[in-house]
Amino acid sequence: MAIDFSYKETWLHKTNPSLKLIIIGLLFIQLLMIHNPNVLINYMVGTLLLYLFFTGHPWKRLFIIAIPFLLIFLTSSTSMIFFGQGEVTWMKWGLVHITEESFFRGLHLGFRGIIFAALGVIFALTTRPVYLFYSLMQQLKLKPKYAYSFMAAIRLIPIMIEEMQTLHYALKVRGVQAEKGIRGFYKKLKSYAIPLLSQSIRRAYRIAVAMEAKRFSNHTNRTYFYKLGFSRFDVLLMGCLLTIICLAYYTGIHHPYFSITDVRHNS
Amino acid sequence: MEKGLKLTDILVTIIIALIFGVIYKLWGPLYGVVSTLGLHVEQLIYGMWFIAAVVAYLIIRKPGVALLAEVAAAQGEFIFGGEWGVATLIFGLGQGLAAELIFAAFRYKRYDMLIASLAGIAAALASIGIDYYYGYIGDLALWNLLILFGARIIGAIIISGIFAYLIVQSLEKTGVTNLVRPASKEDYKALG
Repeated sequence: MAIDFSYKETWLHKTNPSLKLIIIGLLFIQLLMIHNPNVLINYMVGTLLLYLFFTGHPWKRLFIIAIPFLLIFLTSSTSMIFFGQGEVTWMKWGLVHITEESFFRGLHLGFRGIIFAALGVIFALTTRPVYLFYSLMQQLKLKPKYAYSFMAAIRLIPIMIEEMQTLHYALKVRGVQAEKGIRGFYKKLKSYAIPLLSQSIRRAYRIAVAMEAKRFSNHTNRTYFYKLGFSRFDVLLMGCLLTIICLAYYTGIHHPYFSITDVRHNS
Repeated sequence: MEKGLKLTDILVTIIIALIFGVIYKLWGPLYGVVSTLGLHVEQLIYGMWFIAAVVAYLIIRKPGVALLAEVAAAQGEFIFGGEWGVATLIFGLGQGLAAELIFAAFRYKRYDMLIASLAGIAAALASIGIDYYYGYIGDLALWNLLILFGARIIGAIIISGIFAYLIVQSLEKTGVTNLVRPASKEDYKALG
């Protein structure tokens, strides 16, 4: 099965992967400190614009990838909307108790989930794993044995997926019936996990032996096939995100959509 | 003997972790679908996200493996475009550290079902701690919060405690685990 995964390279692809990873990590922490839904909505619009227009992937693929965003929104928000604490009751039906506060807190969580998802997908779509690990070795001094292990392991994933297909067919052709309940779940888990794990461990072991036989070592002054550094695109990325954040705060505070400015209870 | 993890250990750990990384990625949509049932039923399957640390530790039995496995699995889920994006990395780090602490507390000498379950519980508590900031779960109604707690911990015990232990036990029968485990006292005795 060949999947076409071609894309246009944009400036986001040319930014430094380590820097991108660190920035996204910092944004995560910063986002946890936003309790104002108005700011968060603007923030979300900004990241979605980045996702839609600057990742260089075709529209159809972007929309397919975005479908789970909706699921994330639902899973992050529903239990807070239905069961969260609050004073101004909108609806009470059995255990379900929807209040104004819990409703907005739920929405806030949903939007936050979408932003995290979008940032993560932006990173995944614009970063080649090989560049990421080369950059981690060069800029963040990650030990080569970790980086190369990762790269080798990523290369093995297609083989594992193929093996899983084969296993699936083998079980099917032998007429294995799926049982229901927790026992059935365990049996299914076992019938896939054992062959996959044992084959992969053997393969990993062989690769490691082969690498060491070829004198793979932990020398720090090694040479790299890909040399990664910083460029003006990194400045562009930071400027872009800074603009999004400042605009989100400014419009969120001066032109709010809702009167609620803090979704936390008792604050 | 060389100190720390050798290339073999790291490569095997990361491969195991990435297998679970793929499962973690597939677990996301399943979790989403189950959670529409309401009342935190989805928390019962949350335990799957702690399994990489436990399985990798039970196979390789060395310090640092649990943390590395959980971080690598989270990184895998992240690279494959997991729905939770960056949050995955933070959760992976927290859960891996928690499981690692439990194994360290027993000086990396115990490999039974109890220790696997304890590691699962520790990872669950770590994830709840992060959720306190991430998901405002402190603002849920109390009874609802308790269900979330209980279900997540039960799920952690069943999946990343009991199932992980049983899987590694059946894996031992295939003999591959002997490739990667450090030599035990019995092995030295056998040498005479």
